[in-house]
This record gives sequence, structure tokens and C-alpha cells, in this order.
Amino acid sequence: MNFYTYFLRRLLFVVPLLFGITIMAFLIANAVPADPVTANLPQNALNDEDLVQAFREKWGLDKPLHEQYFAYIGNLLQGDMGRSIKTGRPVIEDIQQFLPATMELATLSIFIGLVLGVGVGIISAIYRNSLIDYVSRMFSLIGVSFPVFVLALIGLAVLYGQLGIVAGPGRLGFRTADPPHATGFFLVDSLLAGDLDTFQEAFSHIILPAFILGAYVAGTIARVTRSSLLEVLGMDYMRTARAKGLGERRVLWHGVRNALIPVVTIIGLSYGNLLAGTVLTESIFAWPGIGRYMFRASTSQDFPAIMGVSMLIALIYIIVNFVVDMLYFFLDPRIRGEGR
Amino acid sequence: MKLASRLRLLIMIAVLALSVAIVAAQDEAVLVIGHAESTDSLDPARGFTQTTGIINRVAYDTLVTFPDEDASEILPWLATDWTISEDGTEYTFTLRDDVTFVSGNPLTAEDVVFSIQRLQSVQGNPAFLADNIESVAANEDGTVTFTLATARPAFLAELTNYAFSVTDSATIMENGGTDADDAAETDGAEMYLNGTSAGTGPYILESWEPQVETVLVKNPNYWGEEPYYDRVIITNIAEAATQKVALEAGDIDLALDLTRDQVATLEGNENLTVYSGPSVYTHFLLMNQDEEYGGPVSDPTVQLAIRYALDYDGYKVLWGGVTPPTNLTVGLVAAYGEDKAFTRDLDRARELLAEAGYADGFDITLSYPDFTWQGVNMNTNAQKIQSDLAEVGINVSLNPGELQVSLEEYRTGIQGFGYWFWGPDILDPIDVISFLPGGKVGAERANWLSENVSDDVNALIAEASSEVDQEARIELFAQLQDYLQESGPFAPFINPAVQAAYRSDLQGFVYHPQWTLDVAVLSLPE
Repeated sequence: MNFYTYFLRRLLFVVPLLFGITIMAFLIANAVPADPVTANLPQNALNDEDLVQAFREKWGLDKPLHEQYFAYIGNLLQGDMGRSIKTGRPVIEDIQQFLPATMELATLSIFIGLVLGVGVGIISAIYRNSLIDYVSRMFSLIGVSFPVFVLALIGLAVLYGQLGIVAGPGRLGFRTADPPHATGFFLVDSLLAGDLDTFQEAFSHIILPAFILGAYVAGTIARVTRSSLLEVLGMDYMRTARAKGLGERRVLWHGVRNALIPVVTIIGLSYGNLLAGTVLTESIFAWPGIGRYMFRASTSQDFPAIMGVSMLIALIYIIVNFVVDMLYFFLDPRIRGEGR
Repeated sequence: MKLASRLRLLIMIAVLALSVAIVAAQDEAVLVIGHAESTDSLDPARGFTQTTGIINRVAYDTLVTFPDEDASEILPWLATDWTISEDGTEYTFTLRDDVTFVSGNPLTAEDVVFSIQRLQSVQGNPAFLADNIESVAANEDGTVTFTLATARPAFLAELTNYAFSVTDSATIMENGGTDADDAAETDGAEMYLNGTSAGTGPYILESWEPQVETVLVKNPNYWGEEPYYDRVIITNIAEAATQKVALEAGDIDLALDLTRDQVATLEGNENLTVYSGPSVYTHFLLMNQDEEYGGPVSDPTVQLAIRYALDYDGYKVLWGGVTPPTNLTVGLVAAYGEDKAFTRDLDRARELLAEAGYADGFDITLSYPDFTWQGVNMNTNAQKIQSDLAEVGINVSLNPGELQVSLEEYRTGIQGFGYWFWGPDILDPIDVISFLPGGKVGAERANWLSENVSDDVNALIAEASSEVDQEARIELFAQLQDYLQESGPFAPFINPAVQAAYRSDLQGFVYHPQWTLDVAVLSLPE
């Protein structure tokens, strides 16, 4: 199978998948036995039938469910995701505001997680059952099982509150102006503007949450890398490679490349997770990201926002999985062999 | 150049740059407030949340207001004085003549009319406050007359609400606003008013980035006393723990939403001052009057027994604050003070239960939202209720629910035994009418209907709803509160404390029951 067939075949899955997700998200959001009217109107206003009716009409809640759904899909196809009840702005604008903050944090976190996780995993596998292995396995166990929000709270209280070696909540100091908007990534935008002070400040703000999320991801990646590499190292072809006299480094490279396949999957999933927003971490660090926005939307029955973010998260997962599938193509010769 | 000396040079440059930046920043007095933002809109006709209250308190003015520290009396503000017709349905206000809007337009009676009519026609969240206003008219002499559908003693207290902010009609109309009858569909000024303010207050809204931050700047043309701070930044920090650490680090000057255990650890810090005072929110038990839902707790004798069985002091130990004698928030005009509150009497509770035929107690399920409000965890309280009532033989099983789901059950009156909290929308004793037979909470949520009670009680409620004379009102509400303590399906048990903390040199901090915080009265020593 050549790359393009593989690419197109995977791409074809995306359309029905997205469509299915709109139905699922819509049904789940509506299945909650709660009324957006109660969630959004003040107590005394609930007695005023006119107000309740005006609210229902304004947000289209007076129509039957299937009509609401088709109206939503109709608008969505024209690129209109509706307006958020809570912020009063178009959902697409909200997403444009909140997504870059999350993406910037997720990207830095996954980078930290990748370097730490794969590194620790490989070392652990090579020096199997040695002291190094035990230490790194403990490290990854803590990373996986320690609740992120506890780590976040401790990190904030100690490294920011007590020692002052990193900056505190928010993407920048509360008195600092945002860098001119280009990508929405403050680290990039401040560099583009040639503003090193702001870059430094942004870095000082992002490093702690990124490291905490990175450590969490690293735990999983390290465990998968270790077990996958151990499995590969025991394979017959590795013995063959050694037998035919290849140097230990080249043998290892052989193994690592094959061991990476499950690791890529985990990295993809973790990145998707991080992009879908990490509500607690974002809340604790007052990080204005998509996770916090989603939380706010779901607790106030803000349907347009819930739908918008659900679609966005689904899309993120689809894209990440798609990229992972493409990487498989290059990593796993068996896929290339399919259909021959 | 050696690495060390390079480093030294770099540090020197950095320090120099930093001090230049600090000097530049010092030109402007900036206040940073950490707050769990709840804004839904900054349009006075649409927004109705705590944060909207803080912002619009200083971006706009109302005709009348409360004192800085409480809700004890009505004071003139944009109106210098007013007259009330004999039957209590017509209020005529005389306006100040020295007030201009941010745009430079002078304040006129027409602006008042426009603002009220727009509030009514836009049909946003706070529109219910204007339900009883039949019409508003500008008179030739520059005064404004409100005609009410029925006499309403709480009218002036309602007018202090920021929903009645007087807005600049010309500016709002230029930006798509209207007060026409169909304004719910045609008014397009919300986006404009979410980006800037069109009022007469000491501050102007510079920007609102939803769920991130709100920036206010001083209004140079303000008619009243000039505020101290040039710029006020209200930054959204939802997490109380984060507010605390940011305050300790000096990144924010004031943390508005702290919890009780947090302020305990701040008390030794001399750089910070802690505020703790009772909130206006009353936590209470609801016992459905309808036997189908309430079962044993629909029995008035059991209801009284439960009021005697609760460990009121215990809730104060947990959350601070005060014990409310009734659902009328302590501290409001005509509300009973804590001295009238129930104290626990387990023998009396057991006697009453025996009298009702439940000498051996009974089993019941308590429904409540699994929710934390202003640092008060409802789960914790539910567990305490469970153990309090176990002492008189009532075996409570807990049924926590997702907030919105539980709220829906409560609202539709099908919750048999529920735990909720209530914050007054109007800082007037009339708010307690909701908890009386036929009232919103009484009738709709607890099925306590007017026909269930005597004509005398209904007559008393009607009288208290319309009496204008202050002395007479206090007497009537006292009678109603006596009645609510003896009978009725509610057991209010705590008005928990709210906690805030701020840098110790900050002057003028007051936690107000209506607008939470007036940033215009805050200052630093010169």
C-alpha cells in the first residue's frame, strides 16, 4: 500500500466520525436532567414566565430537540458555532481566545514529558533491575499515580510562594500587558515582537505547570517505553543482530525504533489529553485555557459552548490519532506491506 | 571576558531595567484584585452576578444607594431627593444637575427613563427587579416619576441594585441599543457595553476579557470624590488556594474569595489583613409539606423537632458566621438577630418526635447538590446533619447530586428532604416572603400553600408585603419570623462567614452585602 492510499483511507474515516460525535455530544448534553434556565437565570427571575420564555426563545430552547440539532448542524456547516450563554460571545471567538493558552502549555508539557519519559524508559530497560532501573521506575510510578493537582498546589506553594524561583498564576504577571497577538503563544509572540522581558516572564509563568503536566505524562511514557523496549530486546531478530556481529549501539537503535510504536500511540493520546484541557491544573494556575472554559460551560449548561468545545476536543483527538497513524506508516514496515 | 563577569554584567543590566520598569509603573496607582469571576454580562440590563456587581458599582451610578458598610438605610445618590405619593405607588425623583456621562453628555431625566425601559424590554436576567414598575416618565421640571403597579415598600431598596444603573441613552443608541418594546430581539448594545461603560461612575470599564481579567480606569470627569487608584485590575483566579499564594507573594493586593482554613494560616502575617464576616447566604433544610414527597418530615411537629435537633454551634465552628433565626438574612433591616436563634435541645426534639408518633425515629433521604459555595462544602454539612439527626433517632441517608440536576428537583418541588442555600436578590425584609406559605420557595419548592394555613397568616403576609411605614414593617416582620420559627418546612442553620485578605496598608476595605466591594473607596496612605 502506498502512503497516499493509506492517507486517504484514514481520512475517509474522519467525516462519519465527526458527524457521529455531533450527535453523541448533543444527546449527552441534553440528557442531563437539568435546565439551562435554572442554571442561568437568577432565582427570582424564574418566577417571571415572560423572562423564562424570552430566555428559551433567545437560545432556541423552546424548539423540539431534533429541530435544535438540525439548526445547530446547519449553522455548524456554515462555520457558525453559535454564541456562548455565559460569555455572550461567539463560541468560535471564545475558542480562539482560550485554545492558544492550552496549546502552548500542552506543547511544552508534551515536549518535557517526551524527553524525560523516553530517556528514563530507555535507561531503565538497558539497565534492567539495576539501581537506576528501580529509581526511574519509582519516578515514573510517582508521575503516574500522584494526583496532578496536589503536585500543582505543592509546586505553586513551594517554588513560587516560598522560594520565588518561578512566577505564579496566569500566563504573565497581572500588571504586564500581553505581547502583540500573532500566534497566541506568548512565548512565540514575545520573541516575534523582540520583547525579551515578556518572553522571560512568560517562560517563568509556564515552566512550572508545564513541568508538572510533563512529569505526569513522562511517567506513563517511561513505563511504556521500558516494557516495550524490554520486549523488543528479547526478540529473536535482536539475537540475530548481535550474532551477526553488530555493535551494541546499532543493535539498540534497531530495538528502539521498533519499541517506539506503542510509545507514539501513548504520546499521541497524552497530547490529546493535554490539549483537551486539564481543568484542575488550569484552575490552580489561573491558566486561561480551554479546560477551564469547558468546566465553566458544563456547570452552567451553556449548550453552545459545550457543543463547541466537544467538537473541538473530538477534532483534536482525530487529528492527533491521524498523525499517529501516519507515523505508524513510517515506523512499522508491516503497514507498508499490507495489501501487497 | 570571563563567564562570571559576563554574568555579573548581565545581572546589573537586568536590575537596571527592572528598576526603570518599576519607576515607570509607579507613576500610576494600580490595584490588583484576585477574584473568582462570575460575570455573565457587563450590560446593566443583562448582567446579574457578583462580579457584575463589583464592576458596575463603580462604572455606573444609581438614583439611590445604601451606606458604604450595610443596607440599613436608603441614601440619595444621582437623585438628591424624592417624594412618595400617599398610596405608595408614585415615586418622583429630583436629579443632581452636575453630572455628566463618560461621553461628556449631561445626565437628564430622559436617560433615567431610557435605562429603566431598556432594563424592562431587554428581558435579561435582572429584569424581574423592574416587574412592578408600570411606567417611568420624565417631567418638564427635569424630575422623573416612577408609577408602580402596586405599592411596594421594597422599591427603593431594589433601586439600589446596579441593574437600575443610569446609562447614557445617546451613546447606547448610537451603539445599537434601544428601549423599544421589542428590545429583547433588537437591542444590540451588549457587545459595546461589555467592552466599555456608558455611565457616570468613578471608573470606566477599559476592557473585559471573559474569564481572564477586567480592567477599570479612573473617570476623569467624575462628579463625586476622586478615587485613589488610577487603574483597577480584577483578575480571574478561581482557585482559593491560588489566590492565597498570589496574595502572599505580593502579585495581588486583595484576595476576595478565601476559605476559612486559609485565613487561619494568614493570621500571623503582619503584611496582610484578614477580613471575615457573615455572608448573606443562608444554608437551610427544606422539608416538603406534601406527604407524598416529604413523608415523615411533612409533619409540622417533626419539622420543629428537626429545628431543635441541629447542632447550631457546630456549624459555626466549621464555617464561622452566624446562626440565622429564620430565613431572613441576619443583618438586614427587620431581621432577627442571632440572640433569637434556636439552640440545640435534644430532649425537646425527642419529645416532639414522640408526640408525632416517631419515638423510635425514622429513615429519610437528604438530597443536596454536591457543591462548594464560597468555600462552604455542602457535603461536609450534609454529613454533619446526618450525625446531628442520628442523635434523635432519625436515620438520614445522603443523596448528593450534580448541582444543576439537584437544582431542577428542588425547583420543581419534588425534593422531600433537601439541603440548600439562599442569597437574597433584594436586601429588604420582603425577601423572606419567599419562604412563607404561597411564596416562591415556600409554595413551589416545599408545597407550603396559602390554603394550608389560616386566613390570619395570609392576611399578615399581605400586610407585611405592602406596609410602607418603617416601624410598622419591623413589627410585622417580627410576627412573621415568630411564625416561621414555630411552624414551617424550613430549618435555617448557618450564615457562613466570607473571607477575604489584603495587604495591610490598604485602606477602606468593606465587604458589602449588595455590591461585595466598592473599589472606589480603597486607597493607600500617601
